Amino acid sequence: MKVALTGNPNSGKTTLFNTITGKIEHVGNWPGVTVEKKEGKIKKELNRSGEDIVAVDLPGAYSMSPYTSEESVTSEFILTENPDVIINIVDSTNLARSMFLTTQLLELGIPVVVALNKSDMNDKKETKIDVDRLSEKLNCPVVKTVATKSSGNGLEQLISEAAKLGSSKHKQQGPRILGASKPQNKDEFEAADKRRYDFVNKVKNEVEIRKISSEMQTRQDAVDRIVANKWLGIPIFVAVIWLVFSISQAWLGPWLADAFVGLIDAFYGLVEGLLGGSANPFLSSLLLDGIIGGVGAVVGFLPLIMVLFFCLALLEDCGYMARVAMVMDRFFKKIGLSGKSIIPMIISTGCAIPGIMATRTIKDERQRRTTAMLSPFMPCGAKLPIIALFAGLFFGDKGWVGASMYLLAIVVIIFSGLIIKKITKDDSSSSYFIMELPEYRWPSIKRATISMLSRAKAFIIKAGTIILVCNAIVHILQTFNWQLQAVAENAADTSILASIASPVAIILAPLGFGLWQFAASAVTGFIAKENVVGTLAVTFAVTNFIDVEEYALVGGAGEVSVTFGITAVAALSYLVFNLFTPPCFAAIGAMNAEMESPKWLWGGIAFQFGMGYTLAFIVYQVGTLVTTGSLGTGFMGGLIAVSIMVSIVVYLMYKKPSEVVVKNLSEAV
Amino acid sequence: MMSLSKGKINVTYTVGDINTNDVGMKDFLFTLGCYPGETVTIISKLASNYVVNIKDARYSIDEQLAKAILV
Repeated sequence: MKVALTGNPNSGKTTLFNTITGKIEHVGNWPGVTVEKKEGKIKKELNRSGEDIVAVDLPGAYSMSPYTSEESVTSEFILTENPDVIINIVDSTNLARSMFLTTQLLELGIPVVVALNKSDMNDKKETKIDVDRLSEKLNCPVVKTVATKSSGNGLEQLISEAAKLGSSKHKQQGPRILGASKPQNKDEFEAADKRRYDFVNKVKNEVEIRKISSEMQTRQDAVDRIVANKWLGIPIFVAVIWLVFSISQAWLGPWLADAFVGLIDAFYGLVEGLLGGSANPFLSSLLLDGIIGGVGAVVGFLPLIMVLFFCLALLEDCGYMARVAMVMDRFFKKIGLSGKSIIPMIISTGCAIPGIMATRTIKDERQRRTTAMLSPFMPCGAKLPIIALFAGLFFGDKGWVGASMYLLAIVVIIFSGLIIKKITKDDSSSSYFIMELPEYRWPSIKRATISMLSRAKAFIIKAGTIILVCNAIVHILQTFNWQLQAVAENAADTSILASIASPVAIILAPLGFGLWQFAASAVTGFIAKENVVGTLAVTFAVTNFIDVEEYALVGGAGEVSVTFGITAVAALSYLVFNLFTPPCFAAIGAMNAEMESPKWLWGGIAFQFGMGYTLAFIVYQVGTLVTTGSLGTGFMGGLIAVSIMVSIVVYLMYKKPSEVVVKNLSEAV
Repeated sequence: MMSLSKGKINVTYTVGDINTNDVGMKDFLFTLGCYPGETVTIISKLASNYVVNIKDARYSIDEQLAKAILV
């Protein structure tokens, strides 16, 4: 049996889906979190029907009308896949709007069960809904639910009603709104929809008693006036973000990471002891330095990433995201984006893939594509290890480098937005901003913990598969030369890896890190950004990157810097290069899906590469000039490459749009 | 008729017309319950945006959209 979950955006569909299936899909307190349908089997404890029931969570929709272009995933699924039952999740604090969709669902002939969700919020506001009366008016079962609660939430009753209807083959009768004939054209649909709203208003007045009218000012509105205040909005946003990153990267995260690294070291020692001296040296080196060392260097940063995801989940859960969108709208309009663009960017600080997918709530195509292109510039969780590594090894003061990278990301996004606005000849006058403001609520520690753990699980799986394999391959490639002989101790440059990566290293020379090890790391970084640190660990045979203090005890952090053989300025340039080049392949795939245009995709990737290269070039050459008084290596070659890239961008910015050219031509004729 | 952008806080207005060429936006506002004959209340004016109450929900709209809603 198949049950479709439908309802308005932010009515709690995914929360309900997670509770009834036990899955951990991404939830957040703003409209439009779910962009793709998700399937899951309903838990046995809730489903007493004996038959397997598959629940399908659909993106939110306000209407099923064929003339509203958006929200097509929902109507397409309902109309083509014929679910046995529809569970319509209705935000019980907003019957007046939610039931519009309900009336449309009731006309499809598929049995409908209404879940009056968020009913705890109604209790708080002392709004009463006569459930029996509503059920009678709509001619379908109505169940009060609180999907955020784990028990006493009405979900068992909801599932049993759904199962009953699903097996009865009962044909749903809708309320008589449309009359005898179905509407044929847009005017008739509009007239029918007006009648629909009249019906909804009538039902609402009969079943709902509100103690507090919704037009009254509430405490929530008072909070909005502070949080989204013209002057306070930005400082509050900066403070919130600063807090999130300080906790994850300067306070709690590193503290946990230090403890965690001890465990990895102990494990390394344990395996080393077990292998003893008798094991094949190639295999033991592959296992210790290639696999445990490489993967360990990456996994060591897991606590930082977990704390970051925990904080982001709290932020997404409380309702603040929609307010940030409102605060940022006036600034983002100036760079050709929408206020909503800030949400993908904040999510991208965790991972760019869900971040890019979140751009789907932006209606304007140009704004959506530009946001998908610029969001990966926010340093994601997988790039955290790179930042933490270089900040720790070369700059001692972690806080300063980390913070400046986020700041630089924002500057890069603003600058890029302006360039793209100019290239696409956008006048930005035709797009409106509208966003529902969900009610604030206390973020759930439990949900944040679940989100963090699911993230950690995904990270560990990735470390145990892709990253492990990459590190093993890198280790093998650098151990052997083309004759498949093990390379000599002092001839690492003759390895297969060195000869493959060296041509790439030539291109990177003007950026200050023209060593094959760095080139190999940048390339494996496209598979997964965690690989950058892993590959560096393997190629330089350094196993513990995090415990810089430990290094200080052993031989000073300088020792690692010496091992790397580059200056601090070049290290900063390498950091900048890795942060601002195109994201990993998976994120590029997400860009492809959201942009729906090869021209935008390739243009975007080229732009990202150009941005990373140019920034790294500037950082290295200017930095070297300032610190040593002379230019860095490969200045002329780099300057030529950068000049070509900049000229292309400038040409595109000032090129006349083709229509204008055509017009001018025709006038000339 | 005047545009909603000139409206006062805490006053409930009845929508007269939606003045825009953007048919998609007009339809979208309709599905939210913002169409001629329905009411809209301005809750706050924040920065360059307006917080309005339509049906029983709060929305943030920009000044441009507030100008398009005639009351």
